[in-house]
Amino acid sequence: MRQSRGLWFDAALVGIAAALASLAQAHSASDAYLTLTAQNSTVSDTVVHGQWDIALRDLDFVLKLDDNGDGRIVWGELRKHQKAVADYAYSNIVIMADGKACRIEPTGQAVDNHADGAYAALFFDAFCGAAASQLTLDYRLFFRIDPSHRGVFVLRSGAKVATAVLSPVNARIELGL
Amino acid sequence: MGRVSAAALAILAMPLGSAATVATPGAAPAPAPPFQAPYTPTNDDTVLQEVPSASDPVVRQMRLLRGKLDADAGSVVIAEQLAQTYIDFGRQIGDAHYAGYAEAVLAPWLLQPSPPAVVLVEYATILQYRHQFADARRELKRALHLDPHNAQAWLTLATVDMVQGDYETAGHDCTQVAVSGGYALVIACTANLRSYIGQAQQSLSLLTQIDGQARAMPAGFRSWLQGLLAETSERLGDWAQAEVHYRKALSLTPEDNFLMVAYADFLLDRKRPAEVLTLLENASQSDTAFLRIALAKSALASPDLPLYTWIMGARFAALKERGSDYFGREQVRFALYLQHDPHAALDLAQRNWEVQRAPWDARVLLEAAQAAGQPQAAFAALAFLRKTGLQDPIIEPLARRIDAELKSAALAP
Repeated sequence: MRQSRGLWFDAALVGIAAALASLAQAHSASDAYLTLTAQNSTVSDTVVHGQWDIALRDLDFVLKLDDNGDGRIVWGELRKHQKAVADYAYSNIVIMADGKACRIEPTGQAVDNHADGAYAALFFDAFCGAAASQLTLDYRLFFRIDPSHRGVFVLRSGAKVATAVLSPVNARIELGL
Repeated sequence: MGRVSAAALAILAMPLGSAATVATPGAAPAPAPPFQAPYTPTNDDTVLQEVPSASDPVVRQMRLLRGKLDADAGSVVIAEQLAQTYIDFGRQIGDAHYAGYAEAVLAPWLLQPSPPAVVLVEYATILQYRHQFADARRELKRALHLDPHNAQAWLTLATVDMVQGDYETAGHDCTQVAVSGGYALVIACTANLRSYIGQAQQSLSLLTQIDGQARAMPAGFRSWLQGLLAETSERLGDWAQAEVHYRKALSLTPEDNFLMVAYADFLLDRKRPAEVLTLLENASQSDTAFLRIALAKSALASPDLPLYTWIMGARFAALKERGSDYFGREQVRFALYLQHDPHAALDLAQRNWEVQRAPWDARVLLEAAQAAGQPQAAFAALAFLRKTGLQDPIIEPLARRIDAELKSAALAP
């Protein structure tokens, strides 16, 4: 049997064979939830309030939030990394009104629970020019490390509600305010 | 040492409140969402989320390979290793994020006009994992055009053809594995195929034969064989042997999501739901595992069933919200047995049948058609079962009952 083993098994392939058993699963992939609420004004800046929920699992993959490596992110660990979370997130989003970039001011962070786990909730205000009519969103969060990431986007403006799913091929969207 | 585990259980401990961010599932009258609004914990030690532990050898391996790739970004060898490690890990813990990470690693090569065969095969594995079978098949054919004897490509193609019920083509794929993959893989491939076409006894003999030779092989391979043996024993109604094989498989690869879920289905069928809860205690992060937990809660008439049903519904709703067009057998079982909506279940089962034709896909279609009082909706599945000759002590009597209903309906004035 010893000499026949080489004939019987290709060691490089046995792992692959085992991986084929992975068919037929339902699974959660990476999602973030971005909700913008526009307060349009003709006299002063248009202010867009934002809430951006980003999964701690995803943030941990990029920023290593689990400092002691015990497999659990505790509040103390997330609190320490809040600046890194904000820097990372806000470098991956651009909001423009009528072609001009809006100034994003973070207003705080909290924790938000979704059905698939805990998310960092990032709150911010985006200050855009007065009487803006067109909003452009350029969203790149996680696409470079995970092209299957999706941003589930909701824009509220007065009575209007617009939704979109942001993906690598639909990363930039324009919506009327 | 749960790798990724009970995040949802942490959620269950949260006070009830309003959920601004999670959509309510469609049909069932849902209880109040179990989530509170965004909050700021008061204690630094509050556990928010479980993640793969840095002390896990596979996590260390992934980080090591990631570092190597960062230092040598052009190395297709390292990229392929890292992608494979991500895919295996994601599969093991039932987490689709890792398929995305693997895809990102392969992306620079996929953008080339003619990517290397190894990259195409890895990419096909990701597509197959996401149930994009036509896309997976296309990439595998491209890979085989470049490297006609690529055993991994043939084996993956055989798997795709089997899951879609094209057994004739799968048989041809299996024989092609022989050229460079070795006899054991051909036999395993063929044995797997035979378990679907009324030759489960031969399948069992072949698998037992390989298993006898496999003692020195890696645990992952032996576990895969044990999983196939368990499944084939189930085809033959040999519950005792099936259980022996499931337990052996799990002793070789503990916490393997695919195996745990298959064993959980076995236990649910055997009316042993309490054991499902113990088995999947640390696996609730995986959607497939979570469904079995909820089904076990239902079988036990557990008072917290509405909460589990709500969370499962929210997870499926999130899947839909992100634009996923995957409707699998899990969603059929959710609609049928937890939302008690046989018409929605039948619609999902029919759509699933267009994509997948494994025994469980036939079973959920038959169960949904029967529950919805629409035996004619199972016509395609009945014809398929007749043609293929699938042996299964649960599916066969079910098919006979529906067949009889169809015949009596045809005779009715």
